Amino acid sequence: MLADQYYLIAHEDRTGRSRLHPRATGLGLAAALLAELVLEGRIGVTDGDLFVLDRHPTRDALEHDILDLLIAQPQHRDVRTWLAFLSQDAALRVGERLMRLGAVEPVTRRRMLGTTHTLYMPNSAQQRNAAAWASTRLANLLIRGMELSVTDRVLVSLVSATGLTRHVLYGFEMYPQAFQYLPNAAASLPSDLREIVDYTEASIGSVLTAGRR
Amino acid sequence: MTSVGRHHLHQHNMDQWAGRLLVDRKRPSEPDIITRALASNRMGVASVVFFGVAGAAPLTVIIGSISAIYAIQGSTAVPVAYLVVAGILSLFTVGFVAMSRHIVNSGAFYSYISHGLGRVVGVGAAFVALPAYSLMQIGLFGLFGVVASGILAEFGLQASWYACALVAWALVTVLGVLWVDLSGRVLAVLLVAEISIVLIYDLVMVSNPAGGSISFATLSPAPMLTPVVGTLLVLAIAGFVGFEATVVLSEEARDPKRTIARATHLAVLLAGVLCGISAWAMSVTTGPDQILAVAAEHQTDLVFTLVGPHLPAVLVDVGYVLFMTSVFAALLAFHAAVARYQFALGREGVLPSAWGYTHPRTGAPLLGSITQSVLALAVISAYAAAGAEPLLYLFAWLTTIGGLGVLILMWSASASVIAFFQHHRRGENVWRAYVAPFLAFLLLSIVLAATIIGFGDLLQVPAGSPFRWLFPVAYLGVAAIGFVWALVMRAVRPEVYAAIGRGADVRVIAPAESEFPDVLPPAAPVGSRGYHY
Repeated sequence: MLADQYYLIAHEDRTGRSRLHPRATGLGLAAALLAELVLEGRIGVTDGDLFVLDRHPTRDALEHDILDLLIAQPQHRDVRTWLAFLSQDAALRVGERLMRLGAVEPVTRRRMLGTTHTLYMPNSAQQRNAAAWASTRLANLLIRGMELSVTDRVLVSLVSATGLTRHVLYGFEMYPQAFQYLPNAAASLPSDLREIVDYTEASIGSVLTAGRR
Repeated sequence: MTSVGRHHLHQHNMDQWAGRLLVDRKRPSEPDIITRALASNRMGVASVVFFGVAGAAPLTVIIGSISAIYAIQGSTAVPVAYLVVAGILSLFTVGFVAMSRHIVNSGAFYSYISHGLGRVVGVGAAFVALPAYSLMQIGLFGLFGVVASGILAEFGLQASWYACALVAWALVTVLGVLWVDLSGRVLAVLLVAEISIVLIYDLVMVSNPAGGSISFATLSPAPMLTPVVGTLLVLAIAGFVGFEATVVLSEEARDPKRTIARATHLAVLLAGVLCGISAWAMSVTTGPDQILAVAAEHQTDLVFTLVGPHLPAVLVDVGYVLFMTSVFAALLAFHAAVARYQFALGREGVLPSAWGYTHPRTGAPLLGSITQSVLALAVISAYAAAGAEPLLYLFAWLTTIGGLGVLILMWSASASVIAFFQHHRRGENVWRAYVAPFLAFLLLSIVLAATIIGFGDLLQVPAGSPFRWLFPVAYLGVAAIGFVWALVMRAVRPEVYAAIGRGADVRVIAPAESEFPDVLPPAAPVGSRGYHY
């Protein structure tokens, strides 16, 4: 699943912390979830508006949940609104989905002033390997210049749009063709997915300009 | 009743309830799940006002600027100048906020100017804004250095202003790179404490008037008709600098249309009334005829000296500490503002794209932050090496020069509001679209003209000195560089030029126009376009 892959790339496998600004990670995950629905043929995007193409539930519970909400709230069509809305708890919900898959485990940490918060992070050696593989696999594909599937092209575009490029290609600076491919990954996508990527990049830009947590 | 019957009844009830719910839900005016969930995480009027007023740092202005203006300018019309400026800026805000409702990207002044007067002027304005805000921040280091070394001297520690400024510089640099914005709550607590202490001091000063009677002489509007007024007004405008920051938050506000308008007006009025009343209270307790002499003697200690005899020592000490934190908060706020400005310009391609890079985790605009730190270090070190008096030449000069730049920005922003509504009122009423912007432009033009004419007196330089005309000409120069740069961009990189002042959204809108028609009919499910698991 796209959002799962993105989650594992965007979080440190040892500490469970977000590699990006938390709001940027949330927006990236929200975009990945919407892209999943597009890839499943349930929704489409035109000129910044989302519309539901197919009301049949998806196999995945989280996707179904979001699709249901999209159907229930027809007055909101703007992609940016949905990105902002879904980004609020995307990390939590994708983390829960990964937990159901057995890829992560919930770890509860106590903060300084007694409030607890739950992180979903890989805990066993096997889980950590799987998590690290998410970005290694992508780097491998990029460096060898292999043909990417649509899902992977969306993933690569989101990685590049949210600023995780340096992390994914860390240590592969001698392969300039991988870096050159990144900005063009979005251009080869179907227009629906390209719009989602573009709006994600724009939303992250304005969130960072406002500079508020 | 049997359990089956009850079950049926329950079922029937549920059906009715569900049916009602479905009918009710179609009402579009009701706040829905999405809107409510988004609003819960956004800022209300109060938080936006805090953000705006805290940027202007009222205690810094009241204790630092007002006493410096009394001491250096030698005019008693300071209180009324603040009130007049608050009035002019309120007029300006009417049109400015109305325009902000129609612009998707809410940036700083330059994006408004590029919308109203075109991108060439917009880039010129950006080039004026950069040195203006930068100089104001650097000037504040002078104030901080003097105040901190004064406080340390009370404890018997000898530290030069330069050493204190360097410590502050190091802190601001580190916090700027880590992008530790003082969180809204810390800022709010500090601001409330600052305002309370100002009100206490004002009350004490007004209740202990010189000669036993309260004089309203310094509130008389009569000096507003004399030539000295221009110089006073630009100094007063420097106390309102933070208020444009409120519009930047429009995407973070609960109700962008109303929250921002109210918050901006409140921020202007709050700052104006606080500064005006405090300046008046100072003149009451010394007597209008004595204020200049007393201010010249005590400088930034003026307020503390005035209230000292009437208050327990603790409250005076608290005031000193709050003054320090206030100046430091202002330093940090201005540093972030300058860095963010450079980031916005870098992202839009006006500055090299390296300035548009942010640290992935913290979102800190690294290069902008470092640039400002390096500049600040260079300037304060140069002042220390030259042995120049920091309060006059560093604080007063640089903030005055920066204030001139901000005034130029406000003036061109008010012109851009007129231009923006010229062709179409866009649903705003006549007052907001025409009358208020025009009056604001007229008044700001007068202030700007008076300031440029009297700029030499403002800096206290003798006749014939090049400093009398150097700074306005320098601003004209950087604006001209901006114009030329914009024209170069239009010729060489038209797609980047088209994005100026449009924020992050433009990249989304631009490619849609040149898009090829879809091969498949739009109704085809997107997943069918060659996607395989």
